[in-house]
Amino acid sequence: MSSLYRNSFAAIALLALICGCDRDKQEPRGNPLGETIPIAASPDTIFPGGKTPPSLDPRAAAYEQNAYAIAQGQQLFTWMNCAGCHSHGGGGMGPALMDGKWRYGGRIDQIAASIANGRPNGMPSWRGKLTNQQIWQLAAYVRTLSGQVRKDAVGARGDTMSNSPPQTETVRKPVTQADSAQ
Amino acid sequence: MNMSGFQTALGGDALESSNFLSLFAVFMAVCTIMYLLVIGALLIGMWRGRTPGGELTVESGRHHESTPAFRTALIGWTALILVGLTALTIASFFTDRSNASVARDPGLTLKVTANQWWWDVEYTTHDASKMIRTANEIHLPVGVPAEITLQASDVIHSLWIPNLAGKQDLIPGRVTDMQLLPRKIGTYRGQCAEFCGIQHAHMALDVTVESKADFEKWVAAQQRVAFAPTTPLQLAGYHYVTTRECSACHAITGTPAGGTVGPDLTHFASRRSIGAGTLPMNTGNLYGWIADPQSQKPGNHMPTIGLEPADLHAIVAYLETLK
Amino acid sequence: MRRILAVIVAIVVVLVIVAILWGTRGRNAPTTVDYGAASAAKAVPAASASPPDDGNWTMPGKDYASTRFSGLNQITPANVGKLQVAFTFSTGTTEGFEAPPLVVNNTMYVVTPWPNNVFALDLTKPGAPAKWVYKPNTAAAAKGVACCGPVNRGAVYADGKLFLNLLDGHTVALDANSGAELWRTQVADIQKGETITMAPLVAAGKVLVGNSGGEMGVRGRLTALDEGSGKIAWIGYSTGPDKDVLIGPDYHPPYAKDAGKDLGVSTWPPGMWKIGGGSVWGWLSYDPKLKLVYYGTSNPGPWNSTQRPGDNKFTAGVFARDIDTGKVRWFYQSTPHDLYDHDDINEIVLADVPGPNGQRIPAMLRPSRNGFFYVQDRRSGRVLSAQPYGYINVYKGVDLKSGQLIPVPAMEPQEGRVLRNICPASPGAKDWNPSAFSPITGLVYIPHINLCQDMGIQNANYIAGTPFVGADVKMYAGPGGNRGVFTAWDPIAQRKVFEIKEDLPLWSPALATGGNLVFYGTMDGWFKAIDARTGKLLWQFKTASGIIGQPISYRGPDGRQYIAVPSGVGGWAGAIVTADLDPDDPTAALGFVNAVKDLKTRVAAGGVVYVFALPQ
Repeated sequence: MSSLYRNSFAAIALLALICGCDRDKQEPRGNPLGETIPIAASPDTIFPGGKTPPSLDPRAAAYEQNAYAIAQGQQLFTWMNCAGCHSHGGGGMGPALMDGKWRYGGRIDQIAASIANGRPNGMPSWRGKLTNQQIWQLAAYVRTLSGQVRKDAVGARGDTMSNSPPQTETVRKPVTQADSAQ
Repeated sequence: MNMSGFQTALGGDALESSNFLSLFAVFMAVCTIMYLLVIGALLIGMWRGRTPGGELTVESGRHHESTPAFRTALIGWTALILVGLTALTIASFFTDRSNASVARDPGLTLKVTANQWWWDVEYTTHDASKMIRTANEIHLPVGVPAEITLQASDVIHSLWIPNLAGKQDLIPGRVTDMQLLPRKIGTYRGQCAEFCGIQHAHMALDVTVESKADFEKWVAAQQRVAFAPTTPLQLAGYHYVTTRECSACHAITGTPAGGTVGPDLTHFASRRSIGAGTLPMNTGNLYGWIADPQSQKPGNHMPTIGLEPADLHAIVAYLETLK
Repeated sequence: MRRILAVIVAIVVVLVIVAILWGTRGRNAPTTVDYGAASAAKAVPAASASPPDDGNWTMPGKDYASTRFSGLNQITPANVGKLQVAFTFSTGTTEGFEAPPLVVNNTMYVVTPWPNNVFALDLTKPGAPAKWVYKPNTAAAAKGVACCGPVNRGAVYADGKLFLNLLDGHTVALDANSGAELWRTQVADIQKGETITMAPLVAAGKVLVGNSGGEMGVRGRLTALDEGSGKIAWIGYSTGPDKDVLIGPDYHPPYAKDAGKDLGVSTWPPGMWKIGGGSVWGWLSYDPKLKLVYYGTSNPGPWNSTQRPGDNKFTAGVFARDIDTGKVRWFYQSTPHDLYDHDDINEIVLADVPGPNGQRIPAMLRPSRNGFFYVQDRRSGRVLSAQPYGYINVYKGVDLKSGQLIPVPAMEPQEGRVLRNICPASPGAKDWNPSAFSPITGLVYIPHINLCQDMGIQNANYIAGTPFVGADVKMYAGPGGNRGVFTAWDPIAQRKVFEIKEDLPLWSPALATGGNLVFYGTMDGWFKAIDARTGKLLWQFKTASGIIGQPISYRGPDGRQYIAVPSGVGGWAGAIVTADLDPDDPTAALGFVNAVKDLKTRVAAGGVVYVFALPQ
């Protein structure tokens, strides 16, 4: 083919290769001693005297858009009985995870902190029962329930009785400020 | 890694595989004869069809169509094919009937559930309290027909014990079955025969065929509750295993550990391999596996925890008591 | 040509309109269906368990026979139309409000759902102001292991004391005059997933308390505490070896299927009886003459039945225990190897029924969750008759000779497959909300539901303190389209006498009165009075929130008859409102959300006690 097209194709292919990488980058081993969960992640709240809220850890963002982490989180969600309290996002004993309301914060690091620390109204603490990597994977999956994650990273099918539209079609719920009245 | 001597589909150590071998022999004989005849006919045809210039012409072929010799040859050839196919069909039919006869009166019932990437094995009886649950291993008494119910929890797998019985798929949402009548005492290796994910190659199964007496001994040992820890190190390991990450997925009967999504560990130390055939069972491998399962079997569902050395020693000490 | 076309179009339009009207008939207006007169022979409440009415209400069931019948007859069908609000009381809590107010010594005691506060209202003063408040500081973490709302089904008044259970597993005794806490005993452990929601039974110097948690992998049991000290007197487990279940030489089950040694172990895979459920979260009845306490046990755990082959004793059945020692006299398993979460904890009305030779048989009447109305001899447990009071397609019937429930083999769930159109759904033909029995009409008034479901099961993982279920469920209205139904049942003829279809599931208990009225409430807040004989709606009042609590009737200090009812939607059926669940996931709240998707738009949470009386 002519050199004009060849160079364009090469450029596009290279670009696609680079962009597609992170979405399915599989790190099964993770970083066992390095995957910390911030203790201080707090719901959106008042920061007195001009202090700014902590910025999101870049590693957390990597988990959130990673298809492997989301897929692992989806399996863990059933295995660890999260679905027993939260169903498949609709809630039950625990609050709904597929809407836009978050008592303790809806950012991925806040969700990971909720899972690790537990919360006062009955959310169990999983630190020491799950590895931090698994907790990040669960948090990444929970983020997808309200449609927060890019559609090419979420799982297209669930493993249980089909009940809601597939996640690839979930509408993104705007995450509201946390309601800490309870 | 070689556990059983020789994993071969030509082993013939059970009814099913020996039936397969017989059928294989019949097919081989019939097909060899046909092959030789066809090749022979081809060679004869090539020899006969030579022209002085060495080329084959169309005219020379057309001449032979209407001769009686050619007609006889065609009829004979068709008859030969029919005889051959009939022989193969009859042989297949009888093989299948022989295999199915095992299902009529099974002496043993098992349920195998395939997961990514391990086998969940349950021995079922009508007395639920006598059930046994183990993982990645099957013990069978020699000469007793076994009925194995097959299920899968996630994707399609296939159970294949080459020396004993052929491949049967385990499909999520369906229940399939397999019959097995082992004839020779020994240890054999089975494996997953349907690509099921990244660790499909490390999804092996350890099958032990033993005398009825040995089998009863094994069953009795499996029905026993897990041994209690005795030394302080084992006790520390027991405490870790039953309260920390391990018990979220694994069960050890007689302890608070009740996880059902990973292999049952009650008699873990009596198995011959770790991780469904990934590593042979010994202390060093156990340390390596517990410390970092992801480096041994990357992508499998047991996470690398990043254990403290003291915890690692304690856990291995405790697990080694689970005979 | 054009005319023919016009005619065809007109016919089609008419057919479509008719179809729409036909399809939506009865959707909003409850209709009463009459099935004919009741039989002449009547059941009579057990005399020893049902003393004459003194105008008080000291236990949720009104009496040990659980009749929920008030003998007061000032309010009648003739004057109930004039019933009006006398006073109200707001509790400040907005979870499901199930506990009936207790009235004794001109004081009304109100027990709230979590945080389980107790208010004592002085009925002698206008407006019934509070005398004292008891705040137990029940642990909030208990809400995370309470499957179906952090509810409380009531306290009991006895011997100058008030006894109630706290969600976090404690039983407390209060001085009824001052509200001071006399003792507090821990009976259940939330770390194991246990809570307590039931109302205790206080009799013969014992306080009987059962745990909740059939969905959490707990080990069900009934604990007897000494009334004075709160110390544990005996514990009767629902699973395990005979020495734990308290089965000994006095055990005489009515059927061979429930006889044997250590059945609480042998009917389970090894070790699964320790996490097998059989919790005791429902109603207890007591016969003082026979000294037997009767109660049912919950479903076995997990819901995924393929993980627990065997009959799974002693879950989903009825125990009769000696109240002093706890020893089991008999046990009848209504639903062996339960497949659909058909607990057996529903109310047991103790009544005597006429026998075939004219004698009176001491019996028990109970509409069970599996859809059958059982009439059993309460001395032996023998089933005299069992007939369906709702639509059932998963059981064929009950064989009276063997006592066995006959399942429909095609309706057995399998892992990895979805089973559809299971009727009745998991909450059964009727869930916990108890019926009332009127000795005047001889009828049992059953507020219940008409729901079917789809169910998919998968492997359940056991981690203590987390759910142990293994099932996805999606419920919807059963045949007829009405999700609730109020049935007047003749227990002698074993058939319906009249039936009222309701749009929403009925989750409230019933009250029957001596004035031949029956009261019940709907989930969107209507408190209704119907004629006990015909079912005709005579009066209704729209309260602030949905009604899932027990209405009571009492005689006030001024001698008038009052009717009180708690109003505050919630519980399993109302979780979509109290927990603000998302109906986009039909499996939410164990499948109930799909059945009541419209509830959030019709009602909000609340916690108010309404008290009604005739005008002065």
